[in-house]
Amino acid sequence: MATSFDTLSAAQIAAGIAAGDFTAREVATASLDAIAAREDAVQAFLQVSPELALAAADRIDADRAAGKPLPPLAGVPLAIKDNMNLVGTRTTCASRMLETYESVYTATCVQRMLDAGCVPVGKANMDEFAFGSSTESSAFHPTNNPWDTGRIPGGSSGGSAAAVAAGEVPLALGSDTGGSIRQPAALCGVVGMKPTYGAVSRYGVVAFGSSLDQVGPFGRTVEDVALAMNALVGAGRDPYDGTSQDCAVDFCEHLNDSIEGKRVGIIPAFMEAEGLTPEVRAAVEGAAKQLEAQGAELVEVELPHLDAAIAAYYVIGPAEAFSNLARFDGIRYGYQEPDCANLDAQSSLSRAHGFGAEAKRRQLLGAYLLSSGVYDKYYYAAQKARTLITADYNAAYEKCDVILMPSSPRTAWKHGEISDPTQMYLADLYTISINIAGNGGVSVPLGLGADSQLPVAAQLVGPAFKDRTLLMFARALERGLADASKGAPALSVAPAFAGKGGELA
Amino acid sequence: MALTETDVRGIADYARIALEGDELAQMTAYLNDAVDILAPVLEYDLPDVEPTFHPIGDLANVMREDAGLAARALSLDVALENAGSARDRYFRVPSILGEGGDR
Repeated sequence: MATSFDTLSAAQIAAGIAAGDFTAREVATASLDAIAAREDAVQAFLQVSPELALAAADRIDADRAAGKPLPPLAGVPLAIKDNMNLVGTRTTCASRMLETYESVYTATCVQRMLDAGCVPVGKANMDEFAFGSSTESSAFHPTNNPWDTGRIPGGSSGGSAAAVAAGEVPLALGSDTGGSIRQPAALCGVVGMKPTYGAVSRYGVVAFGSSLDQVGPFGRTVEDVALAMNALVGAGRDPYDGTSQDCAVDFCEHLNDSIEGKRVGIIPAFMEAEGLTPEVRAAVEGAAKQLEAQGAELVEVELPHLDAAIAAYYVIGPAEAFSNLARFDGIRYGYQEPDCANLDAQSSLSRAHGFGAEAKRRQLLGAYLLSSGVYDKYYYAAQKARTLITADYNAAYEKCDVILMPSSPRTAWKHGEISDPTQMYLADLYTISINIAGNGGVSVPLGLGADSQLPVAAQLVGPAFKDRTLLMFARALERGLADASKGAPALSVAPAFAGKGGELA
Repeated sequence: MALTETDVRGIADYARIALEGDELAQMTAYLNDAVDILAPVLEYDLPDVEPTFHPIGDLANVMREDAGLAARALSLDVALENAGSARDRYFRVPSILGEGGDR
């Protein structure tokens, strides 16, 4: 009987290929078939790369036939956020500015996934240059949430999250500057991890906020995310990225350990925050009870300076974005305005016509914040707030091993529902402070919200470079919820897409 | 004090982003809204708190040999392939000074 490819986790796919149950080419073909069948409704991809995928799959099959040992993710189809370079694909950042940009080298994070055996099936949609929380600012098309295609998938890594949730791929890479992995993971009902800053190389990833950006994986199971983390950090620090740290650990080693006797921090102010919907709150409270039932102790912790987090982020983020995006001047790459009288006009018009509205807004805000007289007032204050927020977290981790909180205050909203950019910024409440402090965080699906019947999620955050511990708690939550519902992981492929194209013989 | 359209035109010039049509008014409204939500951070300009510019505190510049970099240096063809205009071995740009156009 034919098996739908989307019922298999990355771990099961790699094991099945190693065992000879199916070939890497069959899996790659199934993933490409699933994309062909589902993409009209989901629109998760900006570019599908069948030649690269099939060539990579054939290499895996040839290696197996030759008796060579297979890497841990051999033959696992992977979607890559379109701000990561991969030779043989365009890297557009979902912007007109880079619409025709051909990758001239491959990002370290992508290369490491390929070295681990992943098969690159395409580049995933995103908010333009990662500016957004809904993927609506993509210059090319929106992406639809697989759980309700009338709604946004979250963002900025919305394409990556939707591709996983729709069963087009089991694994995807995203990047997270203020929640851009964890929030779309939450809204699409998949697992998404932002590792500690410095854990994953940013070499070859188009920069947004250099002190905030971090690459991480999406998967439908915690184990798959752990396997992807092994691939991303296992080779140690990347000499091409000065912020890359040597933190190689085996993320699978303690994945199934008991959390008995461990302490889970709860921030009461976060659970009472304005804008947190009752269904998300109830689900996160249920998650806390689940961890308690497994022997963890719940403790209250305070982060007294969190009220400054959103403001600090929207100083630091735009300031760094303005610096980074100054490179797009229409000369060496990117959109170039034709027939300009002089270089100044060419730069200003190339940028005016290459960037979309939100990319212009963030850069103008950054330019203002870095301008003479304003810089001292906001930028230093924001960096001082960062000191205080980081100290708050460090103090909290004296009392607990991880902190449990929502990932997003609400479930996925309808396309166009939040049109005011500053209103959208306020929805980043739960994710932003982790980027400011640099710690890791993981979003874990908790099932469907009681009111909206859309995915709800909890976020686990932990001390710097304790990302393995986060995954252990994430797995405990996943395991507990699966036991409670007598099923597999809390959520799997969105029902409207499950089994639609992509069968393995 | 709210930013005026004149202020925003100056910021846009500095950012090298030409604003056209309604954009000046829209960006002025946006920047004023955005600056409003940044207000809470001003309370944190405290004299006894050191700023943290980077999550990895002890980051220092690293000197290393150039050896090995040749392997990842782009070839001329590759470096020029994404350029809007190129001539021979060079990126091509319009006149840097004045309104002289391409020379």
